[in-house]
Parts: sequence; structure tokens; C-alpha cells
Amino acid sequence: MAYPINARQHRISVLCLSLLLSLLLALPVDGYAQLSDSLSSPEALKRLSLEELMNIQVTSVSRRSEKLNEAASAIQVITQKDIHNSGAKTVAEALRLAPNLQVAQVNSSQWAISSRGFNNVLANKLLVLIDGRTVYTPLYAGVFWDVQNILLDDVDRIEVISGPGGTLWGANAVNGIINIITKSSADTRGLFVEGAIGSNLPGQGSLRYGGQLAKNLSYRVYGTGFKLPSAVDTSKLKADDSWSMIQGGLQLDWSPSNNNKLTLQQNTYTGDPNPDGGDTTSIRARGTNILARWDHAISEKADFQLQAYYDHTWRDFGNGFTEDLKTYDVDWHNRNALGRKHILTYGLNFRLMDHKVTNLELFAFLHAHKNLYRYSAFLQDEILLLNDRVRLTIGSKIEHNNYTGFEVQPNARIAWLLSKDQTLWTAVSRSVRTPARIDRDFFLYLLPGLPLISGDSQFHSESMIAYELGWRTQPMENLSISLATFYNVYDNIRTAEPGPPPFGIPITFGNGVRGKSYGVELSATYQLASWWQLRGGYTFLKKDLSVKPGSNDLNKGSAESNDPRHQVVVQSSIDIPGGIELGAVLRYVDKLPDPYLKAYTGLDMRIGWRSGKHLELELVGQNLLDSRHIEFIPSSPSPRQIERVIYGRVTCRF
Amino acid sequence: MPILKIIIKQLMKYCKKPFFIIRLILILVVTLNNLYLQGQVIPSREYQLKAVFLFNFTQFVDWPPASYDTEQSPLVIGILGKNPFGTYLEQTVSGEKINGHPVIVRYFENEAEAKGCHLLFLNIPESKKRNDILKALKGKSILTVSDGIDFLEQGGMIRFFTNKNKIKIQINLEASKASELVVSSKLLGVAEIFKP
Repeated sequence: MAYPINARQHRISVLCLSLLLSLLLALPVDGYAQLSDSLSSPEALKRLSLEELMNIQVTSVSRRSEKLNEAASAIQVITQKDIHNSGAKTVAEALRLAPNLQVAQVNSSQWAISSRGFNNVLANKLLVLIDGRTVYTPLYAGVFWDVQNILLDDVDRIEVISGPGGTLWGANAVNGIINIITKSSADTRGLFVEGAIGSNLPGQGSLRYGGQLAKNLSYRVYGTGFKLPSAVDTSKLKADDSWSMIQGGLQLDWSPSNNNKLTLQQNTYTGDPNPDGGDTTSIRARGTNILARWDHAISEKADFQLQAYYDHTWRDFGNGFTEDLKTYDVDWHNRNALGRKHILTYGLNFRLMDHKVTNLELFAFLHAHKNLYRYSAFLQDEILLLNDRVRLTIGSKIEHNNYTGFEVQPNARIAWLLSKDQTLWTAVSRSVRTPARIDRDFFLYLLPGLPLISGDSQFHSESMIAYELGWRTQPMENLSISLATFYNVYDNIRTAEPGPPPFGIPITFGNGVRGKSYGVELSATYQLASWWQLRGGYTFLKKDLSVKPGSNDLNKGSAESNDPRHQVVVQSSIDIPGGIELGAVLRYVDKLPDPYLKAYTGLDMRIGWRSGKHLELELVGQNLLDSRHIEFIPSSPSPRQIERVIYGRVTCRF
Repeated sequence: MPILKIIIKQLMKYCKKPFFIIRLILILVVTLNNLYLQGQVIPSREYQLKAVFLFNFTQFVDWPPASYDTEQSPLVIGILGKNPFGTYLEQTVSGEKINGHPVIVRYFENEAEAKGCHLLFLNIPESKKRNDILKALKGKSILTVSDGIDFLEQGGMIRFFTNKNKIKIQINLEASKASELVVSSKLLGVAEIFKP
């Protein structure tokens, strides 16, 4: 093997793995307590409103979503209603509604999205899942946002967790996790047709049909497409980076019995994003993914989820460079109540990423074809203490990857119910960002055989230890407030190191930056009246990074990121009798330090009118406060301004 | 399972002693936990939720002052029929007060015993028996709750039913009004109103 595993590390990992397996065998077949002990203690359920109580599944087989709501972490949820009321057209726009995310539109097709900082077009410390499928390219350990498309009406909710999630989700869930969850096809029956067009929106349309094939077996099929407007360059000329995409797919949901749920999902898309704009040949991006999932409640005391997916993405960058990625992923996790005071969660995951690129003469990933294997196991115990008022969660993930061998990502969390409506929580976790192909295998040549930039075979994982402290309260039935604070200590963050003199080439990647970041995330939801809801938040973020001795980072310790210090999001949703909805989203993004970009305030507004059950008309204005502004300056292509958009949308449901 | 055992065997070669001790401790913990568990009755999720609903009803329904003997008299939630809640309902109401009245749970054998309670959950599957009980309690300020399909037709006040695996409620307003109970609009807002 190219990267031999340290024998001692290997032994420790084997020990942990065997510990885990012995636990599985040691578990009794029956006799453990109600699984939902900590999830549905009377205290926890009493805090819910009548509406919320009515929304709880009697037999719940969805392990993770339930867990998140109870988790001692900085979680914020964007609901379908929030998305609908905001007038968002795309997933990325919907993510603007999470006050704990940094979201910046770079040009017509590219976005820079991160949480707790380190934002960049190639941001690599955020993990994104769509219905349990990780959307990730090992090219740079990030997300190609231009192919993450969803019919937004299908979305049930988006859970955004800022902070580390390595123990449950594994490497790359360093600064946050975005979990996009779509509705069951049982909830999307009938015909759905929508079409939108406007000034600066060439067009967007979707068609969906859902129904029932048999008792407890429902399905939906959909097709959606758009052509999004071009951005303008700094001299207000059209950048001609307008692009389009079409996507279709189907979903089957089958609940043969109360304790079994099977889901089969498939999506296929093709798009032609063109970030460079002008006469440049467009990127061609295509993909298909298929996912199958089985949720099974073994008893009221134990359940498991088994999931497998295949995700094929293909991208032709238009200059001869192509990326072909086939991801095979199998995931199993189980949860068992062990006694009345413990809930054990454990799981195994295997992932193969068959990654193939077509290299250019001067731009190459070597080897062009690489199979990246990742296997991992995790074990987490949730322990109820002090009359069930304190919940201690401890666990760890052990993961193995091609580049750095074994990685350990433990965490410990404590949630303390101060009173009926107040929770104080704190956590310490370690997460890593494992090397991507760009870190290890990338070569950019000045001339054939003379590299200007070269990946470094010694590049190791970036790591973070996060200390979090948070407080959640509901002082009134209609007001909930969450405050999360964090102090992150980073080490081995990527740097660009100059080569040997006299020319300083090749530039290689090093792990030369360390430092800390800290911040505050305040968010609230306030139901002022049955017809008026306000939600939003404020995020403060400060990074303090420094170059380690021995490193000569050409980026001067910036970690290639550019983050606002202050950020505010406020969303107002008003329902007026007669089926009229008024929505507004105001967001303020502070200046970006390097490259400097001035602060901006954006306002989106929407007026919607529902005529009975079948028809809905909407008028949406996005970026109403200025006719155009820059949100992020990428290293390439040149900066683009995002223009105001006004569009109308007609939706029919039968 | 045999595969796991083979794996374990292989693994044991690597680390014999710590493995054995850890496993021993784990088995011990599990056994102790199981012993501790015995004697506890924990209801299904469905009845956990229903228990919390019952408690919520006491907050969203007003009883006439005459239904309490004194200002400190308890608000009594009664269970008639087999108790489906284990100790969960008691845990739910423990320490709770409604307008100064402590909330307590009582288990009844027959309708005669139930006459002094405020909220009565009838876990009686037989429709006819339920009907007789409702007749016997007619006119009393008792909020009657049940899962029975024809419960509201029989003059019961609140019925639980499940829709898409979620618990919903249906209210017979006429019956509650006749018993001088005031149901808050908040509860009515989330309930289905039964029209006879």
C-alpha cells in the first residue's frame, strides 16, 4: 500500500472495532427499555405544542431526524413553509434562510457556502446530505452546488447544524452539516405544475405526479428545469453566464407494516453551467443517483436503518478536463435502548469512490484514476443522569481512508434541562477534514515536466477540536430562542508552500496553518399572532489564524477563506384572510476582509395568493434594495454582480 | 451470526486480555440494567403521546368551579378500564398544578367511582359498555376521552384517532357544552369538530 498504516494505530483501531462488535453480541434480545426514553420523556413531550404533538409519528422509524431535534448541538431548521414564503428558486437560495450559514452567490451558477467560516467556492469543511446521500466530490472535498437541484416543493425541511458532526457523519463534517430532507411520496399525491418567469428569470418549471400503487405503497415522478439569469460583470455588462438544467426522477415509499419503511429514490440530471461566461464553452454536468433505504423498528426498543446508494456524476469542464465519479455507499446504523438509562447508537459505513479524470497536458491529477475506499464504524451512548434531567452523549467514529489511514473523531455532549422550557448544552468534539485529491494528487505544470503547483504526498488531515456552549429557551409558548457559542481550535489547515529557491516552484500544499475561531449564533422564532411569524438570527464570527513555524504560506494564513464577521437574517411571514401571503427576507452580510468586499443588505419580498386548493399565484422580488451587488470574489473567474430579479409564478395542484 | 463470531475470533488474536475484561464488564452492565428494568411498565409511543395529550387537555379546558370542593382540591384524571399508560401518565402530571389544583391520576373499577373525577379516559373496547358508562355520567362535568370509533356518537367528548401514523383528535362540542365545560379555542383550532 502506498501509505502504510502505523502498526500501533492499527491495533488500537482493531481493539475499538472488536469492542463494538462484542457490544452487538452482548446486547440482550429483549428486556431493554423503551427506545424513546430520552426522546419522549414526559418532560420532553410536555414542552411541545399541540400541533407538534400531532406531528409526531406514533411508530417512528426515522432515527436521525428525531435525534437531531433533541440533539445538544446548534441546529436550525428551515421548514417547507419558510422556503415557500421566501420565494427561493433554488436550494442554494433556500439555504440563505439559515442564519448559521454563510451563503454567497458568486456568479450565475457558482455559490460559496459554509458554516462557521472558511467560506470559499471550494469550501471543504461542510458536509451536505440530500435524503441521506452525501453530495461530495473528492476532487476538492466540497460540493458542486450547480448540480444540487431539487423540486423545492418536495422539500420537507432542511436541517442545518453548525459545528462538528464527525462522530455521526464522518470526515468533512468539520464546521457544519446540511441535511436536506424531502417529503414522503405519500405526502405529495396528485398533480403539481408550476411555472415561473420574470425580469431576469428566463424561466423555471416543474411537473410532478404522485399517487398510490397499492395500500401503503406510494410513488411520485417529477421533472423540473430552469434557465437562470446571467450575472453582470463589474462594468455592468452581461457576463453571459446564464445556464440551464433539467432533472427528473422518481420516488417509491412502501410501508408494508407499521415498523417497516422502504424508500427507493432515483434522480437524473443534465446541466450546462458556465461560470466563466462569455464565449467560453459551457461545462457539461450530468448525473444519476439511486438510493434504497430500509427503516425497521425491531421493537419499541430498537430500530435500525440500512441504506445503499449509487451516485454517478460526470462533468466535462469544457476545456478537455473531465471528472467521472462513481460513489457506492452502504450505511447501517442501529439504535438500542440498553437499560432505562442508555441509548446506544452504532453503525458501519462503507464507501467506494471510483474517481476518474481526463487530464490536460498541463493540468493533471495523478493517477488519473483512483479508487478511494472509506470504511468506518461509530459507537455512541446517550446516558440519562440526575433524574433524566441531564443527558450525556459520548461516542466516537473510527474511519479509514486511502490517504491518511485511520482517523478518530470522538465527541462528548451534555444537555441539561434547567427547567421545563430551558436547556443548557455543551460539547467537545474532534473532527477532521481528510485530504482530497487536490491536496495529494494535483499537478499544474508551467511546461511539460516542470510543475508550478504540485500536491503533496505528505499532506495530512486538517483537524479541529471544537468547544461549544449553547442555551435554548422558550420563555413563551410563541417564542423560542437559541444561543450557541463556539471556540474552535484548528490545526494543519492547508497552506500553499513555495518550492526550493531560486524559483520557488513547485508550490506544494502543506499543513502550515493553525489557529482558532470563535463566535456566537443567536436565532429565534416568534409567532406574534396566528397570522404572523418572525424568524431569524444573528451570527458573529471571528477567525484568528497564524502560520506555523516552518511554513511560508503564500496565502499568508488566510486558509483561502473569506468570511463576514457579522451576519443577520430576518424572515417575516404574514397570512392575510382571503388566501393572501406576504413574505419578506432581510439579510445583512458584513464586509469580507480579503479580498475586500463591502457589506451589503439584501431584501427579498413575496406576495402570494391562493385561490382555493388548486391555484396559487405569486409575485417575488429578490435583491430589491439595489439593482446589483457582488457577494463573493473568487480567485477565478472575475467577480460578478448579482442582479435584482422580479418574477411571477403560477402553481396548480390537483 | 456465525460470521460475526469468526470475526471476533480473529480479532481476539490481536488483543486477548483487554477484550475479555471489557466484554465481561459490558455483560455485567447489561445484566444489571435488565434486573433494574423489571417491574417497570413503559407504554408504547402511542400511549406516551396520549398521556401528554390528556395532560394538555387539563390546560385547555375550563371546569366549572363547582367541580372542585375547595381551591386546593385536586384535578383528577381518571382511567376506567385497563390502564394503558403504565406509570407514564403519573410521571407526566407529577408536580403539575392547574389554577392551584394539583393534577392527580386515579384508576377506577366502575363508573360509580369515577363520578368525582374531572377527566375520564375510557379504555373500554366494548361499545355497549361504553355507552352505559356515558349514560351514567351524563350531566356531570367530566371531560370524557376515548379511542372508541363511535365514542362521539354515543355522547363522548374527545376521541383520539390516528391518521398517517399521527395522533389526531376529534371533539364533540355539544356534549362538552352540555356538561358546562369550556374548551379553549386553541384546542378547537387543532381538533376536528364532530358534527352529529
